[in-house]
Amino acid sequence: MREIIKLAGILFAITAIAGVLLGLTNMATADKIEQQLIQENINARKAVLPQATEFKKVEDEELDSIVQKDFQMIEEIYEGINEGELIGYTFKTTPSGYGGQIVVNVGISLDGTVSGINIVSHTETPGLGAKATEESYQDQYKEKSIDSPLEVVKSTPSGENEIQAIAGATVTSNGVTDGVNIAIDLFNQYLK
Amino acid sequence: MKFGKIMMNGIFKENPTFRLLIGMCPTLAVTTAAINGLGMGLSTAAVLIGSNAVIALLKDVIPSKIRIPAFVVVIASFVTILGMLLKAYVPALDKSLGLFIPLIVVNCIILARAESFASKNGVISSIADGLGMGLGFTLALTILASIRELLGAGSIFAISIMGSAYEPAIIMILPPGAFLTLGLLLGLINKLTEKTQ
Repeated sequence: MREIIKLAGILFAITAIAGVLLGLTNMATADKIEQQLIQENINARKAVLPQATEFKKVEDEELDSIVQKDFQMIEEIYEGINEGELIGYTFKTTPSGYGGQIVVNVGISLDGTVSGINIVSHTETPGLGAKATEESYQDQYKEKSIDSPLEVVKSTPSGENEIQAIAGATVTSNGVTDGVNIAIDLFNQYLK
Repeated sequence: MKFGKIMMNGIFKENPTFRLLIGMCPTLAVTTAAINGLGMGLSTAAVLIGSNAVIALLKDVIPSKIRIPAFVVVIASFVTILGMLLKAYVPALDKSLGLFIPLIVVNCIILARAESFASKNGVISSIADGLGMGLGFTLALTILASIRELLGAGSIFAISIMGSAYEPAIIMILPPGAFLTLGLLLGLINKLTEKTQ
């Protein structure tokens, strides 16, 4: 009995010290980590709407309820502002890929084109679907007109609104394009 | 002398991947590209050196009956603290290694070395062991990942080697490629060391 108490006491002491150390580190780093995260999000928005110098979260109850009902794939909408003027929007969308959710940032410029896309995170197969993070793939979306939804094709694109699928990863390509299309759809219906 | 000897033991004679065959999950999972292998190896090495040193220091305080839970707490705290520091101060490094940090906690090399080496040896020797095992793991992972990346994507460290005419064997960067490469490498190494013995 006495031994059990002693062992429990020692183990308790070790875990208590570990807990205190973890707590202290967390206290010291939490603010910094949050700042990094904010900065990272700003950079991610800037990457898809480079002309904007400032971003403001869209907070409109009416729009929020529409998004929640019909555009569940959209998580966040930001206004992109340059010298006080609204120039476009960025959307954080979460379509499904082959390996799970893909988080895609989509920028749409007020002139009616996709200003850029960016994969924030994904769990696609390395070497196949993961190629969606490469610039050569993402650049395909740049300056596409938003008059009609984008389509994924397996061969070299011939039409205006066609995106060439990543070889061997059609599901991923479709997923990313779904994310872009839903942003286009919302923009065309409610933000134009 | 002794420091060097313990270190070399971890890199070659008792290489964790090729000789002890421990830490197979991360080995198979992350070696899809050379940079991933190197990153996972080096992060593991950093944690291994730290956890070995702490456990060697604490070995007289920790009664042997509760050593496993105590080691796990030490290792997990160490990894979590390292993860938080990376996130806060070197976000670029965290972005490329962030994926591996939580995986290190469950890497059995760390617990195996704590149990079989650090709990029986002094601090300096334990650091040597951590360094050697860590570098041995890094070396093995980088070799494995380089072969897979070369055959599966035609490049090493994202530098194209095979030229654009090469049609990559995608299977090599998928899970079966990990087993194939590891099996063939182990066979080769066994064959080579068999002769010298």
